[in-house]
Amino acid sequence: MAPGRKPKSAGPARPSSTLILDNGADTIKAGFVTDDDSTTDKAPRIVPNCIARDRHHKTYVGSELERCKDFGEIAFRRPVEKGFIVNWEAQKEIWDRAFFDDKAPQKCDPSTTRLVLAEQPNSLPALQTHCDQIVFEEYGFSSYYRGIGPSFNAYQDIQAIFHTPRTPDTIIDVPAEVILLIDSGYSHTTVTPILQGRPLQPAIRRLDVGGKLMTNHLIRLLSVRHFDMRNETYIVNEMKEAACYVSLDFKGDLDKMWKGTRGERREDYATGGSIAKDYVLPDSHTRFHGIVRNHEPGAAARARKSAVSTEDILTLRNERFSVPELLFNPTDIGLRQPGLADLVMQSLSVLPVGLWPGLLANIVVVGGNAKFDNFIQRLQVELLERVPDECVVRVARPEDPIVSTWLGAANFAKHEHADRLAVTKQEYEEHGAAWVARKFALGLGINT
Amino acid sequence: MNNFGVIEVAGTATKATPGWAYVPDTGPALPVALQPKNRKRAARNQPGLSLSDLTVRQENKLRKDLEALNKDNHRDVSIPIPHKTGGSRPQNKHTPNVRKILQSQKTFANHLDDYQALLALAESNPAAVVNNPLLFLNKPLTPVSAATPAKSASPAAPTPPAEKAGGSKRSAAAAKRAAAKEKEEERKRAKMAASKPEPVPPPEPLQEEDVEMVDIPPPGDKEEEKEEERAAPSYYPPDGSILPAYKKPPPAPHPGDNDPLLVSVVPSFPTDEELRALMTAPPLSYMEARASFGEEKYPTRVFCEMCGYWGRVKCMKCGVRVCGLDCLEGHREECVTRYGL
Repeated sequence: MAPGRKPKSAGPARPSSTLILDNGADTIKAGFVTDDDSTTDKAPRIVPNCIARDRHHKTYVGSELERCKDFGEIAFRRPVEKGFIVNWEAQKEIWDRAFFDDKAPQKCDPSTTRLVLAEQPNSLPALQTHCDQIVFEEYGFSSYYRGIGPSFNAYQDIQAIFHTPRTPDTIIDVPAEVILLIDSGYSHTTVTPILQGRPLQPAIRRLDVGGKLMTNHLIRLLSVRHFDMRNETYIVNEMKEAACYVSLDFKGDLDKMWKGTRGERREDYATGGSIAKDYVLPDSHTRFHGIVRNHEPGAAARARKSAVSTEDILTLRNERFSVPELLFNPTDIGLRQPGLADLVMQSLSVLPVGLWPGLLANIVVVGGNAKFDNFIQRLQVELLERVPDECVVRVARPEDPIVSTWLGAANFAKHEHADRLAVTKQEYEEHGAAWVARKFALGLGINT
Repeated sequence: MNNFGVIEVAGTATKATPGWAYVPDTGPALPVALQPKNRKRAARNQPGLSLSDLTVRQENKLRKDLEALNKDNHRDVSIPIPHKTGGSRPQNKHTPNVRKILQSQKTFANHLDDYQALLALAESNPAAVVNNPLLFLNKPLTPVSAATPAKSASPAAPTPPAEKAGGSKRSAAAAKRAAAKEKEEERKRAKMAASKPEPVPPPEPLQEEDVEMVDIPPPGDKEEEKEEERAAPSYYPPDGSILPAYKKPPPAPHPGDNDPLLVSVVPSFPTDEELRALMTAPPLSYMEARASFGEEKYPTRVFCEMCGYWGRVKCMKCGVRVCGLDCLEGHREECVTRYGL
């Protein structure tokens, strides 16, 4: 630590418990970190960040969605747009029910708690100010830090994700020295190079392809080819998560799944060629979630004909891989943005070449989309085509990419950086929102 | 910028009203040519497009499609906040700020428009926004002292590509603005350096409220570390105060080590100043961080609207791509009814 730093004389002692909040557009990852390790949450609680209304006009807020059985035609109101909290009316309701109500599952007393909130990079200043004002003026947290989510990931044991061989006495760097973090979430995908826990802001790049766009794309494909699924966002999202994968050989897979010219019935098409899957839709009476099955030729037609069958079967063919393909080729739907590998290269192009080897050898993918099969393999292959021969490219994802940011933020809360960055309520009242925002924007600075 | 002779009169009292905003005419903005002005031969005259054959109608369809893909729900629904059943929460009074935020019905698009308008206003009439904190929240007025010497020391500090591209006037002007700001800072710094003999000036709060300052690594530490690292081979990256040098023993020598054919090119390691400039740089704005096509150009892939295979055949009526006769027949059934062509 810096020797000459003045101790935090103003204000009370550091709050003993910290609420870690990764407020995603789809789900909130929340949990407490306390000084006492036994009461610290090992994993976050995942709360849907939405207010949902089903077709019977029943409304579910946040985690109440678990009680919902019938997801047909369910509509969502999401407080987070494009990764940023926009609608505070809805967000406050969800937070209240999750943390501040008397019967809240994760009861929290803001006046004795520090809040560590993860936000997406490159936010709008107005939204950041709103967030700070709500946190201090409405909830009155005693101490608060709002940092960009990707950089929290650096506070994890990154080399464990890569399975780097090392001796047992190796000291784990926290924060990690150098990583290139790809966060592919519900709203968008960002690339963030991070050095010693500090994001290299000029090199952060964003691709506007996220889980929502892919789900909606799948909805469109299915509505043209099978049933009208336009109101079934939830069901199609489940289908996407269960059945979609990233193709390592897009052309080959696409050829396999082609039915052929007129009159021709290709064998791969008829048998499914190990790609086609049958998806049994939920009927909301006996089955509340869909089931993926291996393709059985004729099953769908039989189910449609027979009167006794209760199964609605969709056969997924090239939909399985052409949907995640959008991450690598956004131009396929007319979105004029480069694919993920080019995004990484654009981000690197801003940085000195000397940093490339380190960044390329430590690429971590987090976020829900990282769960697609073959995602990291495909990214690795595409990057290898683009970088100089000598560079080692390693791409990896943590065990659970969705909670990775939360776990990193939890480690951050225990790190001394948290004390340096957090702002107390007194400081907010003294200096105002603009000062707080500027302090957060400045980040850690250089102090090693 | 052609704004038809209308000059925006900027007052200091700008009111943020939900639902509408002054939107600057920045020429062809983000969705380039999604709404071409010259409808004649729009497809052929697309500047950024190659190998694509989009008509105006297709462009519009594309734009609508993309908008639809970014929606949360297919239909427009408004779900009110449900009433609390228990009423267990103490209803404290909101502060004016909070009340304003909670009542705001602005969407992200509204906020983005506001921000862009603010940036444009700052460019055309800097006096009007000089006190608007929103503009400078993520561009700190008083940069961290550690960052400033770095910036001046390394003229090769990478510029964000948005500025490099310099396509739009806005970004060019923003660059100019930044440059002007930097120059001013440099002057201030020079003054500071002149008044104080230390090699590295300690953090000097140029603005009162900016208290948070970052310490500068004491020069003594660096030298000590370097002495420890004497043993490392010379081609290893030098030990900096930011990234420590490789501490492990070098790999065992190999007879081929000096073979010129086996030597790989090791890029020079960035200096501490470069790194410091990068690590303390202010965040980019939302628009600047969005990836867009640079030099790399890939042919647009087209797919069959019906089955998703390559779109090898075009429907002669509406231009939609299909893969073959089977799908073409399927498409034709809808083609006429859907568009009434």
